[in-house]
Amino acid sequence: MGEAIVVNAFLTLRVFLVGGLLVALPRVTRKGLLLGAYVGEEVADGEPARQLVRSWDRGCLIVMAISLMVGYGISLAGRPVTGNLTGTAVLLLAALGLYVRHYSMARRLTPPESVRRVELVTVPLVAPARTGERLAKTALAICVALSLGTVVYATLSYRVMPPLVPDAFGGVGGSAELSPKSVITVLFVPTLNLVLSPFFALMGLLTAGAKRSVRGGSGGGSAEAQESFRTLMANVFSGTALFICAVLTVLSAHIVRTGLGRTGFLWAVFALSGAMLLFMVASLIWILKAHGQGGALRESATAEMPLTGGLADNAHWILGMFYVDRDDPSIMVEKRFGIGYSLNYGNRSALVIVGTFALLILGLGALGLFGIVL
Amino acid sequence: MVTLTIDRCHQQPVYEQVADQIRRLISADELAPGTALPSVRQLARDLGVNLNTIARAYRLLEAEGFLAIRDRAGVTVAAPPAEVDHAARSKLLDQMRVTLARLRQTGMTTGELMKVVRREVDALGTRPGQEHGHG
Repeated sequence: MGEAIVVNAFLTLRVFLVGGLLVALPRVTRKGLLLGAYVGEEVADGEPARQLVRSWDRGCLIVMAISLMVGYGISLAGRPVTGNLTGTAVLLLAALGLYVRHYSMARRLTPPESVRRVELVTVPLVAPARTGERLAKTALAICVALSLGTVVYATLSYRVMPPLVPDAFGGVGGSAELSPKSVITVLFVPTLNLVLSPFFALMGLLTAGAKRSVRGGSGGGSAEAQESFRTLMANVFSGTALFICAVLTVLSAHIVRTGLGRTGFLWAVFALSGAMLLFMVASLIWILKAHGQGGALRESATAEMPLTGGLADNAHWILGMFYVDRDDPSIMVEKRFGIGYSLNYGNRSALVIVGTFALLILGLGALGLFGIVL
Repeated sequence: MVTLTIDRCHQQPVYEQVADQIRRLISADELAPGTALPSVRQLARDLGVNLNTIARAYRLLEAEGFLAIRDRAGVTVAAPPAEVDHAARSKLLDQMRVTLARLRQTGMTTGELMKVVRREVDALGTRPGQEHGHG
């Protein structure tokens, strides 16, 4: 019963966080964009657009209610963990369906002149501040150094470790169980650290150099708004990378130390994980509230100051979520619907980065699973 | 913040549009000497054009004395030279003579030519320490 209450509380929190974010997004997005489609600044202010947002709000509430009912129902049947997972899956799938439906409706509101390829591109002609880039580079260096350190520490301790070692949070998430010593069980977490934390720092570095989307005409302060937003998002990535590195470094050390029969510090892992989640959620909520997506809340927007370039070009967006432009050298571009930046899937470097990361994570997951089974 | 706008469907190549606008902004003192411009990579990303397009525009402006490109300092607006480069100035004046002659050949009157030249000079604005309308 106690477990069911905790698991259901997590499900409720997740549903309200995700649902609340979905309801908030159309209100903090850049003027001219409507649920992932560029409809122009005038249409975005019109009654049909407001009706569509109201329909979106209703849909979000229904999706939240359904996912909670499914989760609670399965939990009441005596399977709280399955209920939690199923409720979360229903939430994500139903939200995706709702988004696709509303995106299609928004595209129908797009006036014909906005559908054609956007010909004008306005950009700031001043070198960007490099604070975001510097922090990301520092975070990358720290993450690589610390994660390499954990790999070396685990490798050096390997010989003197007993035949049974704790496989805390291995490939299948088992906690503090003892498994036969193998390269995989001992080195899984340090290697995960070597992949995950530098990847997040790299995303921070790429975000710091992401494409800037400013408005035409007098700009309405969009260049400054975009600059602050981009730096903040890069800093969130860098901070998250440092937290991930700290969590996995401490966890690696804990596994090795307990394996050697010394005192562990799992409490520090939980404390750091909690702090990391708090940092991510709080900073994203604050950025959305104070700046809006892409700095939307800090710019003025009228029909005389339209969005220009890739962000306004419907031809290069698939479902308003995936930007694909082979001629654009940008790796990261501002999201139309969501928080922060997304990859340009037409860019070879972006594909290499994502592909490499996916392969490493899948490979590690498979090795972890293999190690636990052994 | 100073901005630059290009039209991807315009007849004029993108590198010329970029170079033209930067030239005008520097002449009108909207970009002061020493101002750091975005790197080739950043400007190419922002505009969504090939890196070579921006590199070509920057190299052209560097050759014309508008920009200074250094590895560590990046791209900055160049200050006018302390000493007059008579040879370069003479070459530009020759080009202007040819342009004026060609404009006259299109049928423009002297009055119209004067008006155009006056308008273009006015558009450049006045630099601090210079009197408008004099040499």
